[in-house]
Amino acid sequence: MTTLDIYIDDKPLKVEPGKTILEVCRENDIDIPTMCHLDGLTDVGACRLCLVEIEGVNKLQSSCTTKVSANMVIHTQTERLKRYRRITTELFFAERNHICAVCVANGNCELQQLGYKVGMDHIRYPYLFPSCEVDTSHDYMVMDHNRCIMCTRCVRVCGEVEGAYNWDVMNRGFNVRIISDFNTPWGESGTCTSCGKCMHACPTGAIWPKSLSGEQLHKNPEMISELVKKRKMNL
Amino acid sequence: MKPGLLTTSAELSKTDPRVKLIAAKIKKENARPEALIEILHTAQNAYGYLPMNVLSYITHSLHLPPSRVYAAVTFYHFFSLKSKGEHTCLVCTGTACYVKGAQAILHELEKQFGIKAGHVTADQKLGIQVARCVGACGLAPVVVLDDVVEAKVNADQIIQEIRAKIS
Amino acid sequence: MNRQELHTMAIKAREQQASCKHKIGVCCGAGCISIGAEEVLKKMQEDVKARGLESEVAVVPTGCMGPCNQGPLVKYLPENTIYQKVNAASVAEFNQAQLVEGKPILSSLIFADSRTKPFINAAEDPFFHKQLKIALKDCGELNPEDIDDYLVHGGYTALSKVLFQMSAEEVIAEMKQSRLRGRGGAGYPTGFKWETVYKYVSDQKYVICNGDEGDPGAFMDRSVLEGNPHRVLEGMAIAAFAIGANKGYAYIRGEYPLAIKRIELAIKQAKKIGLLGSNILGSSFSFEVEVRIGAGAFVCGEETALIASIEGKRGTPRPRPPFPAESGLWGKPTLINNVETFAAIVPIINNGGEWYSEIGTPKSAGTKVFALAGKINNAGLIEVAMGTTLREIVYDIGGGIQGEGQFKAAQTGGPSGGCIPASHLDVKMDYEALVSLGSIMGSGGLIIMDEQSDMVDVARFFMEFCMDESCGKCVPCRVGTKMMHDLLEKIYMGSATKLDLDRLEELAIYVREASLCGLGASAPNPFMSTLRHFREEYENKIQPEVQLVKGI
Repeated sequence: MTTLDIYIDDKPLKVEPGKTILEVCRENDIDIPTMCHLDGLTDVGACRLCLVEIEGVNKLQSSCTTKVSANMVIHTQTERLKRYRRITTELFFAERNHICAVCVANGNCELQQLGYKVGMDHIRYPYLFPSCEVDTSHDYMVMDHNRCIMCTRCVRVCGEVEGAYNWDVMNRGFNVRIISDFNTPWGESGTCTSCGKCMHACPTGAIWPKSLSGEQLHKNPEMISELVKKRKMNL
Repeated sequence: MKPGLLTTSAELSKTDPRVKLIAAKIKKENARPEALIEILHTAQNAYGYLPMNVLSYITHSLHLPPSRVYAAVTFYHFFSLKSKGEHTCLVCTGTACYVKGAQAILHELEKQFGIKAGHVTADQKLGIQVARCVGACGLAPVVVLDDVVEAKVNADQIIQEIRAKIS
Repeated sequence: MNRQELHTMAIKAREQQASCKHKIGVCCGAGCISIGAEEVLKKMQEDVKARGLESEVAVVPTGCMGPCNQGPLVKYLPENTIYQKVNAASVAEFNQAQLVEGKPILSSLIFADSRTKPFINAAEDPFFHKQLKIALKDCGELNPEDIDDYLVHGGYTALSKVLFQMSAEEVIAEMKQSRLRGRGGAGYPTGFKWETVYKYVSDQKYVICNGDEGDPGAFMDRSVLEGNPHRVLEGMAIAAFAIGANKGYAYIRGEYPLAIKRIELAIKQAKKIGLLGSNILGSSFSFEVEVRIGAGAFVCGEETALIASIEGKRGTPRPRPPFPAESGLWGKPTLINNVETFAAIVPIINNGGEWYSEIGTPKSAGTKVFALAGKINNAGLIEVAMGTTLREIVYDIGGGIQGEGQFKAAQTGGPSGGCIPASHLDVKMDYEALVSLGSIMGSGGLIIMDEQSDMVDVARFFMEFCMDESCGKCVPCRVGTKMMHDLLEKIYMGSATKLDLDRLEELAIYVREASLCGLGASAPNPFMSTLRHFREEYENKIQPEVQLVKGI
């Protein structure tokens, strides 16, 4: 098989064509934070955490959606990228009502880990405190929009893996919200199969099982990736 | 699937000419899911907004997930899930109109009729809306009253015209 | 219909028109219609008939003539005399003077109220003679609802030339030679764009005409579509031939019902005589066009969002690459050009790429249509050669600032653009010059502001627009524009400190560089350019730093 020569952070690498920059980085232990990416789901390039610099390209590119090409020279850890990752993280926290101390996902939250990773010691932007609903209508899961970061992993896993299309996004701009059906309470959805994949795909405490109280939540997003892989294997 | 949530055309009267219009449009487009927006345009024009049972009907006919339809409807400003009122007054707040004082006209209208832009009076007679630019910049400021473009307006004149319409 | 038949048809239409001594055009652009042009047209037809002149005087509705501010407008040809602010009651009087007595009514001529001596031949008025009309050439002259009139003006000869005398490569070479750049805003060289799509091998390709003109203050595309829809269709067909597409979509903003009506009518007419459809003019080339109506989302002007919208989805952009040229509509190679770009294709094919490339400036060839609005005397639609100075546009064509005011700034490029201050009035308007001033050409909205305009408020206004129009997909745009708007509001209200301004500047660069699509990437422009040219207005609104601890 042909391979491509590329450079990531000054390190020469031989890689298979067709892979994304993010895939190559993960294979080579180069750490790039992500939120909207989940192995097995279609990438959308929405969270902008995985932005990288590519020499000769004047725009920053999301590594999850950009495929490697021959002689690409990529930088993943420049001061500018680190600064932007931190701003993005702060904007996530300021956008809705993320209060780790009272969150069921405390200690098991990808957003919280991201905060540590990018060295977020405080948030320089005013909290927006939007009024968000908590949908407790489902028999055994809760959707708390206060903790949602609009990564749309639930939307994609529901459509692409489960095939139910219960979730989608309504409105636009700052007013976007995850909806089920016609913005119907989750418990009254006509399409939800109650499979729980969205709960595992969700990186924060936005979707969680009712049976849990604080800090008990353990999610298993890798299960989704495994599921997708096994389906492709056609066992 | 739980019953009663995905209402079919059962709730819609088959003899309603508006329903016929939508049905004809769906047929013309071969019920292709990608024609969703075209079909929503037809429905919006027929009803002036998109009632939920009409949305259900379209969703069913195109075999689309309800969430996908609702997502599209709420994305585009042209579509409305609420009735816009018997008469509509749309104030253009595009740049040219803005430079020529559209905000003051809007404030005056809101004050006079006691509703904010995007809302309808309690008696459903009047809805006030804003547009980002109706493209008649040479005639700024512009107000569109029931689909008629009124050029170089002032607040008093528009208020009088509205009063004449809704009284 | 074959090529010869088209030729015969044009000759016949021409002879028929030549039998008329006079042609009266009533401007029926959306602007003039809103102030009663249709009534004027009706009255005009009645009056000509009452005089028994209908065999020698043709009365036709036309597209936009330009000076929208002075409408409704009526134009008498061949004299090229334009009357302004015509109402139905005064029609008989004008006809009497023009058609019977042959003596124009000077006091009602175009710009009679602002010129010491108005011009009987409107082309001599500075508003017109400083312009160079290529994209708009026949707009305001021909009847947009009559394909015969288009044929009289040489319509579809460019398509015929391309089909029978040129190869796809030659068409692309001609476009490259013309140095035409995309008129939608970004200014990407059109010939290269065509070549890229041409090179992708695929069983199906698409051509999309982007008529989702969403910038507030811009109405160029609307006027072209309303005034000369066949020109756009012909341009699309030529593009389709060049890249190897057989299906096109005209995506038109829902707010433009008249433009939609006229392009739909034009498609119907062209189809009827075989200028669209299978085996056009007997060649092996087939091309269909469908209209798609936008549903009110500014972001759909962005190529990938527009494609999503045509596919019936939320109009959210996706990261590029892959570019639409490789993977566009339904994943097929797709060419997207703006309305004004398509309108320039026909003259380039007819007169050659070299001719076009010699107009304008070295890096920006040709002409640009601007929608001139704001605090200016002669608001309306204009087309000038690239490199025309802002001063010429404002004072010669625009007739100067309205009322007693002084020119303060011109805003170009709408919510993605910036401001040009008075100190740069002599800037030669082209892509590079505007970028060097921190603005952009954009699609062509040109809003003139006098000193009453508060630049912080202007920046806040545009940021509010971007915030409302953000699709909400990526974080920098969704949250960043909201934060920037709130900070601008805080400055405007006078409660911000220097720290807020610093934070705003940092955020502006972040939003520009980290956003997914052009909407977010350009959203900070109005703020950054007003800050660059009018920093003192920001600083005047800022609270002095409070010293919390003595001695620091």
